[in-house]
Amino acid sequence: MSPLEIEQMQQDIAVHGARKGDFVRLGDTALVVRVEADDRELGNEVQIGFGKNLRDGIGMRSVSSSESCDVVVTNVLIIDALLGIRVSSIGIRAGRIHAIGRAGNPDTMDNIDVVVGSGSVIIPGEGLIATAGGIDTHVHAMTPRVCDAALASGVTTIIAQEFGPFWGVGVSSKWALEQAHNMYGAWPLNVGILGRAAGSTTSPLQEALAGGVCGFKIHEDTGAHPRTIDTTLNFADEHDIAVALHTDGLNEMLSVADTIDVIAGRAVHAFHVEGCGGGHSPDVLTMAGRENILASSTNPTLAYGINAADEHVAMIISAHGMNPELPSDVQMARNRVRNATMAAENRLHDMGVIPVTSSDALGMGRVDDTWRKTFAMASMFSDRAILDGSVAASEVIVENERVLRHVAKITINPALVHGLSHEVGAIKVGLMADIVLWPYSSFASKPNMIIKNGLPAWGVVGDPGATVANAQPLVIGPQFGAFGVTAEDLGVHFTNSDSEVSLSRRRSVSVRNTRTIRSSDMIRHGILGEIDVDPSGHVVTFNGQHITSDPQNAATLTRTYLI
Amino acid sequence: MELTPSELDRVLIFNVAQLAKSRQERGLKLNKPEAVALISHAVIEAARDGNSHAQALQAGLSAISDSDLLPGVGSMLSGIAIEAVFDDGRRLVVVDFLTKDLDTPGKVTRLDQVIPIPAKDITEVTVINESKIQISVTTHMHFFEVNPRLKFNREATYGKHLFIPAGEHVDFPPGIPVDVELVPISGDRVMIGFAGLVDGPLDEPGMKERAIERARELGYLGTAK
Repeated sequence: MSPLEIEQMQQDIAVHGARKGDFVRLGDTALVVRVEADDRELGNEVQIGFGKNLRDGIGMRSVSSSESCDVVVTNVLIIDALLGIRVSSIGIRAGRIHAIGRAGNPDTMDNIDVVVGSGSVIIPGEGLIATAGGIDTHVHAMTPRVCDAALASGVTTIIAQEFGPFWGVGVSSKWALEQAHNMYGAWPLNVGILGRAAGSTTSPLQEALAGGVCGFKIHEDTGAHPRTIDTTLNFADEHDIAVALHTDGLNEMLSVADTIDVIAGRAVHAFHVEGCGGGHSPDVLTMAGRENILASSTNPTLAYGINAADEHVAMIISAHGMNPELPSDVQMARNRVRNATMAAENRLHDMGVIPVTSSDALGMGRVDDTWRKTFAMASMFSDRAILDGSVAASEVIVENERVLRHVAKITINPALVHGLSHEVGAIKVGLMADIVLWPYSSFASKPNMIIKNGLPAWGVVGDPGATVANAQPLVIGPQFGAFGVTAEDLGVHFTNSDSEVSLSRRRSVSVRNTRTIRSSDMIRHGILGEIDVDPSGHVVTFNGQHITSDPQNAATLTRTYLI
Repeated sequence: MELTPSELDRVLIFNVAQLAKSRQERGLKLNKPEAVALISHAVIEAARDGNSHAQALQAGLSAISDSDLLPGVGSMLSGIAIEAVFDDGRRLVVVDFLTKDLDTPGKVTRLDQVIPIPAKDITEVTVINESKIQISVTTHMHFFEVNPRLKFNREATYGKHLFIPAGEHVDFPPGIPVDVELVPISGDRVMIGFAGLVDGPLDEPGMKERAIERARELGYLGTAK
């Protein structure tokens, strides 16, 4: 290309963002995706602003929003586990995704999928990436501010186990649950609460069900005994509700093989399957790679780093009510920390064996780090593809599949595991318009806007007294959708179909299909195989092959962006 | 102090700038928030010192250099908007940090040029602006219905728009002939609104003749019999 052509190309990219065939580097990672499709028509791209074509009668049709859209996100690079990597526009009507495709006015433009009305709200998406809102299935809500941090990081759905600085790991009191559902109405966030499945009998489970939980949590700290597991899974099968499991890390009553036997082929969500977060030591990782066990990771072990082991001993002691002065407590904590299983866990993610990432917020994970750590991990396994001039662009390895696999881990797969996918988890017609917009330059690290149920709910906001909306200091904070009763309306309460709770404003949605979901249903995952952990905890194999990864000296998406 | 929300935001900039400065003094390279804070702080203090808008902008641009930054950070420092209190009031300063850093987070690489819009059924007309001020026309405007003071063969432009990249425009300075290329409007070819000359399907029988007649009655130049 001549210098003039290069200049024109750069102008075109600045105005219209990436187009089909373009390579886009995600943040400061080594990941480079290639745009698979572009729904726009060259020359008829719609744009909003002074002298642009999104005007009445031109790009906008003079009809009401019921014949067009309430909100349109235009010309955005969608990265979605189901839809792929394409430039498109997203039309939203009454909080749901109404259409995806070419936007404009069918009176004056060909093949319009998303009708822009003369009154439609326009969110320009050029230069931005749209993903579905993140879903964090493992949140210890020990402080209300966890909801702020989740939203600020691009998470729009949380499955919580508490609503205060108390021992929850699931709550079963119907009275307490009723209060909690109303508290969570303060955030434009979808929230489900797990009931505590510490019942050898079904009474506490029945109470939690009536109290409107969306699933159950079995936790060794409150009992992960054979009877508990069996009772809970039987009960869950009767009521179509998900079960999350933190297994018996002490191997006190049962070893990992026994836990797998008690589960007996039923669906269960195995939390922090690597084991640092808890569970059979040293071999809980062997639960992954099985058809009925839906495995997830918590984020401190992801993007396996040189300091991972050191931080975990103190974290375990602090999170689990242990005493650092007690040698037996320290020993128990140490037993949970193994470099080999962390190194293998990261590899299993890249292979498509572990389908879900989550935080374990305030209970050994960071609620606002799941997007970041998931993609820093993806970047670890990336071939060096940075387009810095040292690598010829034509030799760039395209990593669409890897990127889509990692998007699935924090969007559609957790939705499937917890029975939420009829409402959230993808940029798909009919689902709630929970959409995160990210600058190309800070993808998965710092979002630009968090759209909840079709409206800006959180995002980058600036000096409120300025002449423009983007004056420093820019912070990621609440948008209008986070205020008033709107916050309550924009989020939903995930519950079960036998709940006896009725909320005055917030919509309640029952989870579905939680008992039939299997690892092979996991999008861009579903690789099954036999994982073995040597009794020493130092060697992990998958189908007999040694698997590991190198600890990273520096994780991407981190130092460049965080003070 | 009776500080306003906007003033409190200045304190936030100051805090991060001080943090950045202390890190810089320890020999560290700056990341994005640190660099933005230092640039913003420099602009605000230059304004406080009584400097002009241009001087404050310069202070922001020279607050840091490429060698102060972590790899890739320089490329993320465009369009930094800062409101500072100048002697003549609060003013907006926008700093675009110029960098030679090629390690760009979020970089878009295009191997091949975008193929230009395929030319189809092009109409050429020469337009003269007979008014005393400049008139500008954007890409997708129904050219037939543009400002009555532009003189050109209107009939030839019925149902057409400018053949230029979307979002651009053509300027028509007073008295200077400008040649433009037009292409047919696509889609269902229904013109609703604009000057009301059509206000319906372009290709409906008799519509074009009625539109020309209306334009003529209203004194649109280029419609005389």
